[in-house]
Amino acid sequence: MKKSDLDKVKIKQIPAQKRTNPFANVFDEFVGFCRSRSMFMLHYCTGCGAIELPPAMTSRFDMERLGIQPMVSPRQADILLITGYVSIKTLKRVILTYEQMAAPKYVIGICSCTVNGGMYWQSYATAKKLDEYFPVDLYIAGCMPRPEAVIEGLQQLMQKIKANEANSWKQYYKNYDYFLGNQQHLFGNNWQTPTDVIGEAETYQLAGPNTLGEHTKILQSVQTPLKPLEMKL
Amino acid sequence: MRPENYQAVNHPPSHEFELNFGPNHPGIEGNFALKVKLQGDIVVEARTDAGYLHRGFEKLMEDRLWIQNIALVPRICVPDPVPMEVCYSLAVEDLANIEVPERAQWIRVLQLELSRIAAHLFFFGGHAATTGMYTPMYWGVADRDLLLDLFEELTGGRIYSIYNLPGGVRQDVPEGFLQRVSDTLDYIDGRLKDYDNLFFTNQIFVKRARGVGTINQQQALDWSVTGPNLRACGLEFDVRRDDPYLIYPQLDFDIPTEQAGDALARTLVRRLEMVESIRIIRQVIKALPDIKGPLRTPIPNPLAWRVPAGESYARVESSKGEVAYYVVSNGGEKPYRVHIRGPSAMHAVQVLEKLAVGSRLEDIAQTIFSLDACPPEVDR
Repeated sequence: MKKSDLDKVKIKQIPAQKRTNPFANVFDEFVGFCRSRSMFMLHYCTGCGAIELPPAMTSRFDMERLGIQPMVSPRQADILLITGYVSIKTLKRVILTYEQMAAPKYVIGICSCTVNGGMYWQSYATAKKLDEYFPVDLYIAGCMPRPEAVIEGLQQLMQKIKANEANSWKQYYKNYDYFLGNQQHLFGNNWQTPTDVIGEAETYQLAGPNTLGEHTKILQSVQTPLKPLEMKL
Repeated sequence: MRPENYQAVNHPPSHEFELNFGPNHPGIEGNFALKVKLQGDIVVEARTDAGYLHRGFEKLMEDRLWIQNIALVPRICVPDPVPMEVCYSLAVEDLANIEVPERAQWIRVLQLELSRIAAHLFFFGGHAATTGMYTPMYWGVADRDLLLDLFEELTGGRIYSIYNLPGGVRQDVPEGFLQRVSDTLDYIDGRLKDYDNLFFTNQIFVKRARGVGTINQQQALDWSVTGPNLRACGLEFDVRRDDPYLIYPQLDFDIPTEQAGDALARTLVRRLEMVESIRIIRQVIKALPDIKGPLRTPIPNPLAWRVPAGESYARVESSKGEVAYYVVSNGGEKPYRVHIRGPSAMHAVQVLEKLAVGSRLEDIAQTIFSLDACPPEVDR
């Protein structure tokens, strides 16, 4: 499977949408404010940047004063922090985790390795650019970023959420074919996740011209329909 | 700890089921996983599922210059990176026949022992969190940060210092630095009593950890257990004393041991080691101002440095156990082969798999944290 071409898709930042009803706009602003003030961060340490999270979370830098708390379950988390390099084995789990999270969901890539591979640019085992596989809202560069930088990055994310500009999760539905193509390039054509992303895109009315394509056709041909679990007692 | 009216329930064999423990799990250390087979809540079989952090270090190092690898090696063990740098430098110095100046050796020991205290504080915080006690976690991580500030002042980096080179260290200690180290040690020394009250002698922890994951002396030798985990079984072995490197023979320190070999003993050994490390650093602070001399033996142009052909093996005692580097050179600008012997690969794979069998599911977190395994070093 060849790698998807980014130029064909032209991923753009989705601006904050203004609605015609002024009261609806006020309501949107209120919702953005509330969302930015209570964020649950998924507690998944993917790489070495995770070592700077305990100082950022505990008494010295205290992330909790911003309303950010670690959360163990992806289904109740808002932020997915990718802390450092992602090996191919981890990337499968990260994508499964990302698809399980409830929208709106925000992704932060910490460390240089998530931007372009960092120190491991020639490694055979790591995925180099994170935003080829799922959309990323914000990068915090550095090897590794200090706790102050992590908190600064989270504050920028809060500003983006408040202004309703952190919409990268919509990109995943709008350009699913592109992301799926890169995932298939890495994991093979049999790659599938239990989440029905195309169905979700249609339900959320976020399906666009780039949602379906050649890669989703491959997915639909190999996909086995999910069966209800059989209970044995 | 079981309630007094606890009665074992005999499950029929059909209730055996498999459970994925990790990688996204609060009871696991870092990005690491176990597949356990359970009967009720008793573990029947455990298999580690490593490889989530694999980067192929040994291959990457063959592709970089001798001096570039210094930036790569600390990434192998994230909570305790300094022994990795020092050990690689020792191996390359042995190959190239470089004599390290005495002042550089003392500074290296200062850095190694500071790193050991920092790693033990981090361990103590993490281990406390698995028993549900979150206050020690906050204390341990916050006090470790004071040591990281010292690292930042000395080397410029909080975690990865890249301060040791083949031939010596990069820079001299800043003015007034030794006084600040001394003050920080006084603070941590004073805090140890609070840690004892809060965690190490706390009955909540002691009852929970006693008898969990016991290793006897024969098993420890068979499974190549090293470091504090070995000393928790009553075997007094320490690379610092038994195969000395740097200036450790000139220093006066004890090697604390415990007899039980369980999770509690492993934790207490680390508590006692913090005291010994503080003792060593105090001796370094006393001696360092009188030792004059250069900091680095100059090496030829590092970008075209050809290390003579041969092989060398160097080992140091890290906070997790014995770290060793086997370096082979064919006289080129890059290493021909580097093999890294990390302690966590043994502790987290072959030891944990055996200790988990027969224990309860919730004791796995206790076992893995008390072994102080470091997942990035397991996978490398």
